[in-house]
Amino acid sequence: MTLDFSAITPYLHMLLRGAVITIQASSLSLLCGSILGILVGAIRVSPFAPLRALAAGYIYVIRGTPLLIQLFLIYFGLPSLGLNLPAFTAGVIGLTINSSGYVGEIVRGGIEAVPKGQWEASKVLGLSYVHTMRFIILPQAIRNMLPAIGNEFVTLIKESSLLSTLAITELTMVGQQVRSVTYASFETFIMVGIIYLVMTSITSLALQYIEKRWTVD
Amino acid sequence: MSNNGNDSASSSFIPALEVRDLRKSFGNVSVLEGISLSVREGEVISVIGPSGSGKSTLARCICRLEEIDGGEVLLYGDRIDNGKHSNRDIARLVGMIFQQFNLFPHLSVLENIILSPVRILGNSPKAAEDKAMSLLERVGLCEKKSARPNELSGGQRQRVAIARALAMNPKIMLFDEPTSALDPELVGEVLDVIADLAQSGMTMMIITHEMLFAKEVSDRVLFMDGGKILEQGPPDSIFTSPQVPRTQLFLQRMLAHVGKELVQAHSDERTWTHDA
Repeated sequence: MTLDFSAITPYLHMLLRGAVITIQASSLSLLCGSILGILVGAIRVSPFAPLRALAAGYIYVIRGTPLLIQLFLIYFGLPSLGLNLPAFTAGVIGLTINSSGYVGEIVRGGIEAVPKGQWEASKVLGLSYVHTMRFIILPQAIRNMLPAIGNEFVTLIKESSLLSTLAITELTMVGQQVRSVTYASFETFIMVGIIYLVMTSITSLALQYIEKRWTVD
Repeated sequence: MSNNGNDSASSSFIPALEVRDLRKSFGNVSVLEGISLSVREGEVISVIGPSGSGKSTLARCICRLEEIDGGEVLLYGDRIDNGKHSNRDIARLVGMIFQQFNLFPHLSVLENIILSPVRILGNSPKAAEDKAMSLLERVGLCEKKSARPNELSGGQRQRVAIARALAMNPKIMLFDEPTSALDPELVGEVLDVIADLAQSGMTMMIITHEMLFAKEVSDRVLFMDGGKILEQGPPDSIFTSPQVPRTQLFLQRMLAHVGKELVQAHSDERTWTHDA
């Protein structure tokens, strides 16, 4: 067989529009997931044992169940509790919760890698737990975390393809639509794959740049 | 404790630091076995003794880095071991210097020093900065104010750590082997700063293996072993005529290599600097 990309070129703008939705969903989830994840990670290492257990349980469940099931629970499950969320909202919430579990675990590792002496110096200088976290531990922990966070961001962009199951017209969903019109399956999904690759590459490069900037000074 | 001793007239009768029958274990290993100790305001005491004798744990219990298992710790007559004091309350009374400096690597020298005064004491950044600069001048590091800790030598880091602790205006300074992590040629500059501080009337407790320094700078020397204070007294009597066999043995070993210098230390000032 031969590849004929001319069959899908009229639909390229559709794919790009889908990519925009993917970018929107991913970056929203990245942002919210990171904030929630830092919170979960900070609670995970808090001095208060019941809170610590709660965060550990959260991370355990999130990381031990498929993202697809989490999305289904939010989009198809919650309406039975009377909560009807628009597909895009449900998708972003699902991705946010999912990535917060992974980010939480990364944050825990990053925090625990900060030497104990930093906590002790903070304590004898009168800093409270929250102050110590905010001014001393997290700024150092984030540096430890950056490589793993980069991986998580890339993973999240790729996994946002599961939002197609909620009929959100992100890149993968649009890909399926284009395929069903053109029957050019191979060409369509090669193109979809290339667009994903461009998005993940840009993300990786940006994070590598940030990592370098942060570790130099 | 009654609090009728708050006026300044009677405060001189209250020890700056008092420890009563302090006990501390890690698991089933007993580290401090009933330490009692009283330090008056302005007094400089040195704590010597073999590794594992509980010296560091004593200092860490006083600044509340360790919870104690029994006994009492009082700062200016006020019990601080009952969990009623915030980190801030303790930090205003006690400054602690660590063997490993524990500077904040992501902050500049100046930021290291002003963080707590600004965030905890509520000083204005300007006032905190002025204070920090005068402290840096005192430890001889004004030109390093914008440097990061990893650009400094070990001796410089420890001097910044001392300036950082002093920025909180503590009433008592604890030094936990402040020169043990330093290259020998950098020990002197840190000891000089500590000696100046002692001269200025600061109440201090110095845990050290620098015997010559302890002899010169302290009003009183404590010898600890096995979680107990075995002997204490003025440096002259501890170093020249120790009474307890354990102290004699320890000093014999510690002073074997500096025997000659110790004799000179009587006349010369600041013979602890190793660059002679």
